Amino acid sequence: MNQRLSYSSPQKQHLYSFFLSTTCTGTAVAIASLFCHVMPEISCIAPLLSLLSIVVVARYTVSRWYSLGCCFFSVACFYVVFPFLDQNLSPINYSVTLLTMIIIALFVSDMSSRLTAQAETIAEREKQLYEREQETMRANLLRAISHDLRTPLTGIIGNSALLLENGANLTEEEKRKFLSCIHEDSNWLLNMVENLLTITRIRGDNLAITTGEEPVEEVISEALQKLSKRYPDAQINAKIPEEFLLVPMDAILIEQVAINLLSNAILYSKSTRPIDLIVRDTPHAVIFTVRDYGIGLPPDKLNTLFDGNTSSPSHLLDSHKGMGIGLSICKTIIAAHHGTLTARNHEEGAEFIFTLPKE
Amino acid sequence: MNKKIHILLIEDDNNVSTYTSTTLENSGYKVTAAFTGKEGLSLTASLCPDIILLDLGLPDIDGCEVIEQIRSWRDNSNIPIIVISARDSEDEKVNALELGADDYITKPFGNAELIARIRTSLRHRHPHTQGTIYRAKELEIDFEKRYIRLAGEEIHLTQVEYQLLTLLAENSGRVLTYHYLIKTIWGPYADSNNQILRVNMANIRRKIEKNPAQPVYVFTEIGIGYRMLESESG
Repeated sequence: MNQRLSYSSPQKQHLYSFFLSTTCTGTAVAIASLFCHVMPEISCIAPLLSLLSIVVVARYTVSRWYSLGCCFFSVACFYVVFPFLDQNLSPINYSVTLLTMIIIALFVSDMSSRLTAQAETIAEREKQLYEREQETMRANLLRAISHDLRTPLTGIIGNSALLLENGANLTEEEKRKFLSCIHEDSNWLLNMVENLLTITRIRGDNLAITTGEEPVEEVISEALQKLSKRYPDAQINAKIPEEFLLVPMDAILIEQVAINLLSNAILYSKSTRPIDLIVRDTPHAVIFTVRDYGIGLPPDKLNTLFDGNTSSPSHLLDSHKGMGIGLSICKTIIAAHHGTLTARNHEEGAEFIFTLPKE
Repeated sequence: MNKKIHILLIEDDNNVSTYTSTTLENSGYKVTAAFTGKEGLSLTASLCPDIILLDLGLPDIDGCEVIEQIRSWRDNSNIPIIVISARDSEDEKVNALELGADDYITKPFGNAELIARIRTSLRHRHPHTQGTIYRAKELEIDFEKRYIRLAGEEIHLTQVEYQLLTLLAENSGRVLTYHYLIKTIWGPYADSNNQILRVNMANIRRKIEKNPAQPVYVFTEIGIGYRMLESESG
């Protein structure tokens, strides 16, 4: 029984089985009788052909009754069709043929049903394993999110409480300092929420996204525009190919990736030169590189950079707030586009490279 | 102008409403706040504000319905409406724009951004104040003499590119949706696929922008449309 059929309704399965058994047996008998009429000297292949049809029917139908039916039908055909060609066949001969066929039919259909059952068990087990993996991923993500949300919220609540309770005793300068902390933390929270919103665009477990052909330059330019609003002093050099490039993608998601990688570079790399954003066109993919000229990535963090694990303190992610789940979201987004995202150090700093396939 | 510009703010969240009103009052506007869609509609009818700021997520009726109703009136149906949206979906914004909103701004917004949007929308409601020349940074477009100059040098555009650029320039500072641009330039029966629009925009960008990846004059709003840098001569 093939896999696809095992998912359809029992009626359909039986209809299919019935159809298969009639066609197989009918064809076998027809060919056999043709041979017997045209070339009687090789009429011995008739039982062989019937046997073949019985094996096929036993293997690919849902119940053993179909193959048994074929046995009786084939033998009956021999009895009706062949005797006047070959007088030597005795009733004993027929019974032996019938018995052999029945045994083979039972044997094959039993084996076949066992095979199907085994395949089903394996598929079931794989599904369970996959679900468990998804569950772990989700739990990790939630843990990372709540950790990342709590940190800036603590800052906001603490600073605002201070202002509310001791507002009268604070100097203007101190008040300003607390307020700017609140402002900074809220902006950070906003960035986080935007990242989370992008995840909702990726549907279900199989990372399905809706892609359309989008011009690379428009996506890049909007990302840069949003960044310049958020970090007015940041310097970014963008280099894109001269020709007009359309790449299948979810533009909002890719924009988010560009924003995440660039703001990461702006905030944490301590780059001494403007950050480069380079887009290159290759025959099968478009390659985006975000390159900074700063302190580089700590080598021991390179492997776990995209795991979204913020619980281990990292000196790359300066102080209490880091990119948090931002990088793991980038990884998820690029994976959903069937592209790759890698990070590495070059001589003067770090670079993040992601690719988007053109097909 | 000796009379203060009157803004109606329809927003259900008390905190946001208070802070937005304060910001706008500090900038010299008169603000009336409404907290539900129905209240907003009746205030629009009775007060005739100069401009409406509308939150889409209202407790009683949907913000889009408010736009539709105001636009269907016989009087004051063309009051500028700026949609304030917390929703992140592009469809939502496109829908509001297509129903007749003048512009949108996404929460949270900066004060400067909000005031700039209000000024742009007000300016476009008074076309007589708008000159026949678009001028911003080094770009100059003369709608009457039909020339475009970048840093003094004349730029040559194809017919369609010229139409597109002038359409954006006439509405500078406002976002124009893909749908609107295609309908206006290529006619109502044009293919709704916006590839042709994108290609033309890419050509324009190569002619007027120094670096197409960091444009100065025409900005993309992904999934929505294009917005041109506000004219300085208006």
